[in-house]
Amino acid sequence: MSTITFESVQLNSHLPQLVRRIDQEFITRDAVASLDFNPIHVDPVWAKKVNLLGAGTTIAHGLCTVSFLASTVTDWCYASGGFITRIESKFVAPVRPGDTVTCSGEVMELHPRDDGKSFVVIELLAKNDREQTVAWAKAFVRLPSQR
Amino acid sequence: MTEQVRLEDFILTKKQKEFERDFFKGSEHYQRWEDVEFGRVWENDRRFTVEAEDILAYSAGVGDENPLFSDAEAAKSGPFGGLIAHPIFFTPIVFWLAGDEGPLSWLRTPGAINPGGVYEMFEPIRPGDTLRSRAHVKDKWIKRGKRYLTYEVDFLNQDDTLVVRLQATLILPTSKNDGTHQF
Repeated sequence: MSTITFESVQLNSHLPQLVRRIDQEFITRDAVASLDFNPIHVDPVWAKKVNLLGAGTTIAHGLCTVSFLASTVTDWCYASGGFITRIESKFVAPVRPGDTVTCSGEVMELHPRDDGKSFVVIELLAKNDREQTVAWAKAFVRLPSQR
Repeated sequence: MTEQVRLEDFILTKKQKEFERDFFKGSEHYQRWEDVEFGRVWENDRRFTVEAEDILAYSAGVGDENPLFSDAEAAKSGPFGGLIAHPIFFTPIVFWLAGDEGPLSWLRTPGAINPGGVYEMFEPIRPGDTLRSRAHVKDKWIKRGKRYLTYEVDFLNQDDTLVVRLQATLILPTSKNDGTHQF
């Protein structure tokens, strides 16, 4: 993998996509990892009863989807010493067991700095396999500089 | 058919073993939307001391195999000089530090929905860090019949350095017995 530096990044370039297949096992494993045992995530019987967001299924954690979007960025630049300083996220549709989530990212802004803290802004999108957007985010990413 | 997936099969760490996983238990003590106080900065005595196993379990849970988050030995030769936590590792930290009463206990409310948030990371989180929380409520409002709560949580390490700041929002179910949207 080539080294990513602030100077090497082109505006409107795309990050490699990240794909995750979601089933109840994935959601429950993430619940344990996150210590978020809300029954809307881990209890299919309760989720069916309350039918919170329609469809009567459990839903994946919103922050699980954010973790995928973050991993899209970290896969791209952390080995080069990049660092996410800020993520703004919005969830627009639930992720349900059986969904496949595809995350993509595009470099939208370049912010050169003289103090070694140059950063880029990346717009991230998570879609399900019906091409429906489930979440978007903006990531502010500090990158090493060649200078 | 309901998939039979058992939580117990995925428990890996000491904290995961100790943590109260039944969010209904004691839920009558969780702070409710209608009882939220403004203008108070809230801290508690809870601490999250980061073990390597916590970092490894989180990255495994979200399916991330980046060696920086999942292989302590390989991470030594990386740009951070050792294992660091995945950026969204604040999730188990906030649930661990929240407790089951008072501010932040609303996180455990069955049926609470997260519509999005803003997360700032100032320093990488590493094994050995001991984190505590400082929280305050920023806003609560009703929109299209739903009750929203926005709050900010700072995580400070053992040197009182701010490492993560969350601005989080939850949509909380009505908890008083007024016959609407109650679980």
